[in-house]
Amino acid sequence: MLYVTLLLDGIAYGMVLFIISVGLTVTMGLMRVVNLAHGAFAMTGGYVAATLVKAGVPFFLAAALSAGAVGLLGAGAELTIYRPLYRKGELAQALMTFGLAFVAIAVLTMIYGARLEPLPLPKALAGLVDIGYRTYPAYRLFLIAVGLVLAVILWRVIDGSLYGARLRAAVDNPRMARAVGINVNRLFTVTFGAGCALASLGCVIGAELLPLEPFYALRYLVLFLVVVGVGGYGNFKGSFIAALTIGMIDSAGKFFFPGVAAYLLYGIVLALLLWRPHGLVPPRSAG
Amino acid sequence: MGKHWLHKFWLAGLIVCLAGPAVAADTVKVGVIGTFSGPFARWGQQFRQAIAVYQKQHGTSVNGIPIEVIFRDDGGPDPARARQLADELILREKVQFLGGFVFTPNALAVADLVTESKTPTVIFNAATAVITRKSPYFVRVSQTIPQVAAPIGKWAAQNKVKTAITAVSDYGPGYDAEEYFSKAFKAGGGQVLESIRIPLATTDFAPFFERIGQKKPDALFIFGPGGPPTVGMINTWASRLKPNGIQLLATAETQEIDLPKIGPAALGVVSSFHYTETVDNPLNKALWADLIQMFGQDTVPDLASAQSYDGMHFIYLTVAKLGARFNPDDAIQFMSHLAIDSPRGPIAIDPKTRDIVQNVYLRKVERRGDKLQNINFETIPMVRDPWKEDHPE
Amino acid sequence: MAGARLGALWHVVPWVTALVVYYTAGGYLSLGTNVLIMILLTLSLDLVLGHAGIVTLGHAAYFGFGAYAAGNFAVHVHNGSLAGLLFAGALTGVFGLLTGALILHTEGVTLMMLTLAIASLVAEFANHAHFLTGGDDGLQGIRMAPLLGLFRFDLYGHTAYLYSLGVLCAWFVATWRIVRSPFGRSLDGIRQSPRRMRAIGTPVWRRLVAVYGLSAAMAGSAGALSAQTTRYASLSALSILVSGTAVVTLALGGTRRLYGAFLGATVYGVVQSFAAEIDPFRWMLVVGLMLMGVVLFAEKGLMSLVDLGRNALVGAFRRAARR
Repeated sequence: MLYVTLLLDGIAYGMVLFIISVGLTVTMGLMRVVNLAHGAFAMTGGYVAATLVKAGVPFFLAAALSAGAVGLLGAGAELTIYRPLYRKGELAQALMTFGLAFVAIAVLTMIYGARLEPLPLPKALAGLVDIGYRTYPAYRLFLIAVGLVLAVILWRVIDGSLYGARLRAAVDNPRMARAVGINVNRLFTVTFGAGCALASLGCVIGAELLPLEPFYALRYLVLFLVVVGVGGYGNFKGSFIAALTIGMIDSAGKFFFPGVAAYLLYGIVLALLLWRPHGLVPPRSAG
Repeated sequence: MGKHWLHKFWLAGLIVCLAGPAVAADTVKVGVIGTFSGPFARWGQQFRQAIAVYQKQHGTSVNGIPIEVIFRDDGGPDPARARQLADELILREKVQFLGGFVFTPNALAVADLVTESKTPTVIFNAATAVITRKSPYFVRVSQTIPQVAAPIGKWAAQNKVKTAITAVSDYGPGYDAEEYFSKAFKAGGGQVLESIRIPLATTDFAPFFERIGQKKPDALFIFGPGGPPTVGMINTWASRLKPNGIQLLATAETQEIDLPKIGPAALGVVSSFHYTETVDNPLNKALWADLIQMFGQDTVPDLASAQSYDGMHFIYLTVAKLGARFNPDDAIQFMSHLAIDSPRGPIAIDPKTRDIVQNVYLRKVERRGDKLQNINFETIPMVRDPWKEDHPE
Repeated sequence: MAGARLGALWHVVPWVTALVVYYTAGGYLSLGTNVLIMILLTLSLDLVLGHAGIVTLGHAAYFGFGAYAAGNFAVHVHNGSLAGLLFAGALTGVFGLLTGALILHTEGVTLMMLTLAIASLVAEFANHAHFLTGGDDGLQGIRMAPLLGLFRFDLYGHTAYLYSLGVLCAWFVATWRIVRSPFGRSLDGIRQSPRRMRAIGTPVWRRLVAVYGLSAAMAGSAGALSAQTTRYASLSALSILVSGTAVVTLALGGTRRLYGAFLGATVYGVVQSFAAEIDPFRWMLVVGLMLMGVVLFAEKGLMSLVDLGRNALVGAFRRAARR
């Protein structure tokens, strides 16, 4: 029965990684923008939700509203500061989004102060649930459920739908896509906004595990990058599998060999990438 | 001096423009190196707030000698930057005191600089025991980890805890805490089943705590760096181990500044620490009231506030006693023999070690009205740093 | 003819500026030394990222490796500066060759992740290897002998500054030659299209590993300088913040412009220092806005602004000469 607990813990952790990184899979993976400000958008959503919850708004409504707000913010950012970046190359994108993250951290510190910001879960999620052989945190079961739902929706929407096809076309060859009538600009704006909205959602849902504070934007950036990088640039199946794999190996490792816990995450990443350099799920079009 | 026009960067020009009227000739400058940005920004914020309160209460001058505080940001544990800042403060600003230092590596990096330039340095936080040995110009007003970790070990052994596991963050202060908790606990007859070191970057503590639960200790001792890891540890204990009756023992982890984020999960945690927000003395009450008045309803004093407040007091007392142009060795002599009242209670410096001697309080997290607070239930008076006693020079 | 000779004159500007700073910086000299060390690190990154196209987020691993190597050499073997510098640089170069050989068959995001992974593992190892690194207390007890037996490392940092400047100059000359050599040209080719280079028979992997090792040696030298001039080596030398800042300063100054590293590191270092001085609590805002501004308005980095200025000057000079 111990193994069931370990499995649940590992999967739940993997789900948090997936949920938070999924927005980056959209912006950095699909749209190929090096978006180091992903954490900043996520964090902004977290703070908006925290303020709403403090004002009495129920948790899920706050999560949805903040996702919407950040989605709009992201769309606005895409129109203004990200649009010029597409043709400027990766280094320029890295530089600007890094600067954006700095600005976000500074602004949020000015508004909220440098301390941890509470984002309390609704009572229903905060307690323990009897799963037969023991009580288990309801929150983790919730994470697993949300992760699965999100994965399925995104799978269908991006990999399986016309919208997804259009998006992939627009990213691969914008000129051609415009030629066949796809409104590339609007597609990019909407998708980027959606990516940011997902980031916000990830932050709010994951706040129990990754607490909210102004340095959030950069503190966990490496984690997000790792999931996207290991999974294979730009596909959800890859990110999902990568997140779960990393989550499970990391959790099991910590339990059985706490002495080497420090080396686990990056050791796994190293091993996985050397084994599968094209990502766990290589892109359909190789090269 | 003709150097200024060569600094052609406009920001520098702005500083000069904003510098205002020339500073009085006998001003005493104090350089405070703290962490004002990045993940540990709250330390610097608290230094700044407490110093502001102190200067509001005591004025910005001593016997007509203005005290000017210059803040510099080290950005976190960054010894190279700390050293560069100390360099500039000592050589350019000609500060007569250095203060601050949140992190041990930053303090260690400036040790030889401070010795060579003979700059009395008051350490507002850095808590690794060995620091005061590294320079004869270091005086520490904060705490040492062994000083606050040993008492909880001793208390546990005397209070029905027979077996314990330690889970500390994987860095220097964590090792100190692990060593001295275990020593005191074992000396009292307890048995340490396992010592786990948790990487600082850890976000998910569940697997570690499941492992701890499997061994069924009576209590778990934790040590974290404050902020997200600490919150994670306490929450994980509350959901995995508290229902099974495993007591949580700690030191700084339940400071009130973090309690609202942790929530009711923290109820029942027993800790030993040198500063409890509820310490009932007029200095503490005044500090808290002034913090709220100046910085808002949600401001809570914390160890950083009390320690920097006391650090400023040391500096003010030194200037009051020795004047504006004092001999650095006299200043160190004077500060090494100080005993004052602090918001924490009485504190003193041990002249042999230039290190802090203070009360350590045993306290428990309880609900008072609608707030969670640490409530003292025992006081161990004037505790010296055990590490220095174990490692004589 | 005059143009070429005139062009060579521009080389003088950064070095003269560095000497001017030496004589005028006063209490800011240690900032100057740190900037010089940062320039060296950024320069090493220009070689490997700007020219060879290896996007690395883990170059701090070599910086820190060099720092600890030099520190341990000074404490346990011999505290002469040049000996320590050579030792640290060489050892870090070997380390770079080994790690490069491990990962350079990959490219793009995968390679970037691998550099990140290696840097993190090195940092974790350093955290635990107390006997080598002092753990997170850092490596203490470094006492440097006077440089060349003559120049004591003084409190104000005069020796440290000139020493760092000399080392930077040496590496700069080496890098200049390399970039203009056939080897350097082939790196540019590899950056633009590895496939094409393979098609014409270039041993791509071998070239990449070679430049990676060289860059590591350079970064290691920078780390060694840091340890020797501050008499301290710590874990922060291995942090992703150092790697990230190096990438930022390179992009800021402009890649493949060699002096871009100079400009980027200087501007970043100085702005950060002054912004932090004016407002220790909000300097991040200033730096962040500056970064965004440069990307939006000076996309090839600040060197492109320098070019504009230079061309304007030369144009005005030519017009005046014609009259």
